[in-house]
Amino acid sequence: MEEAIRLGQVCLWRRTQEEFSYDLKKTVLSFFEGKYRQPAKKLVLDKIDLVVEKGEKIGIIGGNGAGKSTLLKVICGILQPTTGTVRVRGQIAPLIELGAGFDAEISVMDNILLYGVLLGFSRAEMQERARSILEFAELQDYELVPVKGLSSGMVARLGFAIATDVKPDILILDEVLSVGDESFRNKCQKRMDGFWDSHVSILVVSHSMEFIKQSCDKAIWLNKGGIELAGESEKVVTSYIQSVS
Amino acid sequence: MSLSLSNKYITPKARHYLELLHVLVSRTLKVRYRGSFLGIYWSLLNPLIMTGLYTAIFGATFAKYYGGSILNYVLAALTGLIVINFFSASTSQALSSVVGNGALLNKIRLPVSVFPISMITANIFQFVMGTFPLLAIVALINSKSLINVVAIFLPFIALVMFCVGIGFFVSALYVFFRDLPYFYELVVFMLWISSPVFYPAEIVPKAVRPFLILNPLSPIIESLRQITLSGNLPDFMLIINALLSGILFAGFGWLYFHRSRSQFMDLL
Repeated sequence: MEEAIRLGQVCLWRRTQEEFSYDLKKTVLSFFEGKYRQPAKKLVLDKIDLVVEKGEKIGIIGGNGAGKSTLLKVICGILQPTTGTVRVRGQIAPLIELGAGFDAEISVMDNILLYGVLLGFSRAEMQERARSILEFAELQDYELVPVKGLSSGMVARLGFAIATDVKPDILILDEVLSVGDESFRNKCQKRMDGFWDSHVSILVVSHSMEFIKQSCDKAIWLNKGGIELAGESEKVVTSYIQSVS
Repeated sequence: MSLSLSNKYITPKARHYLELLHVLVSRTLKVRYRGSFLGIYWSLLNPLIMTGLYTAIFGATFAKYYGGSILNYVLAALTGLIVINFFSASTSQALSSVVGNGALLNKIRLPVSVFPISMITANIFQFVMGTFPLLAIVALINSKSLINVVAIFLPFIALVMFCVGIGFFVSALYVFFRDLPYFYELVVFMLWISSPVFYPAEIVPKAVRPFLILNPLSPIIESLRQITLSGNLPDFMLIINALLSGILFAGFGWLYFHRSRSQFMDLL
């Protein structure tokens, strides 16, 4: 088996936002009063070791604020670990909150190009794909309409269509699996099943234990930034449920 | 831009950067000019109206410093205002560009520097389409030489580098200090009032005058005026002066941006 992701002893310290003063005036004043202090930092990920083989489906579980989304961000390269190493082989497709890169003022077509390039594709590639994306999202008639003229369901459909119209090596899911009305949900489900059956490595954060048990080979239970337990999804989910109840 | 993209010796990273720049700039321009009648020429309207205003108020009084000609005053004010306008528009847009895209940066891995750069590039595009033809005509009439027309780009490059430097600096600083726009407005006003845009440098008291030289926009305005208005061949000492200070500021701004970049994500 080939390795897709390897994290070695990853630690991440972040500044806590709540006590941060975003104020130039206050900072300068406190500096003159001699009250200035270095902003406090908090350990959000604590010595995470993780190896994901190619094609593995891994579920990440844990309470709120356990560091699940942060871990995904580190793997995506959005956050740099303070110490430790992150190695990723292959292209990552992040599926975190669809439609984040849209600009409501410009047309659907322009948004397909914009979003695609933001996700790392070239404009030429996106122009070729635009047809199939519009078709999947069922928005062929809306090509030149600005996105603010679409309903929120349509925007979600468009986001899903662009983000999943790729053949990534690694797919990152943060609790977004299906959008839109009932018939579109089925389409989404089919496409996701397609990913699930292929050799794509998938990392998914979910609060649905049933889902994790059924669809993931392995699960990781995060607690206060550290790995509490990792292994077969059945086992991890069972002990997680026992610990909370 | 499409030319540079077809170059196969370019690394994939640089190619992606250029692609990003392309979509972001075209997005900015499309949003800015969607459904507007004058389109890109709106960017010319501001300096033109300001010039009219200054001429109406100060023109008669200051004309004696400009060889007794109101037209000379109009042109001097216009060139100064074009520079100041480009500076204040591009840097204030760059200022909010990183924070404004914070949500996006939290979801997709992107080179952060592309956001301030794209704002300045959008303004360059506006300048080349809207303001440059006007300056070129003025330069051609005054100097009757194409060299001067081409040379307009040299102080402009200096201006762009200065704006890139300041744009990098303020966009990074804004991540840490969200009340920066208020202070920055003041700084822009200080630069604006201390560069001899609508008044002749001669009226400033001798004791204060040396401080005006500290204004980094002064050499750029001076050089642009020399090229477009004097009718002589471009003075390369002035140009080099402007370019050097531009490079200095660009380097400094990039350095600050690069060094503080690792802390951005905790605060966006």
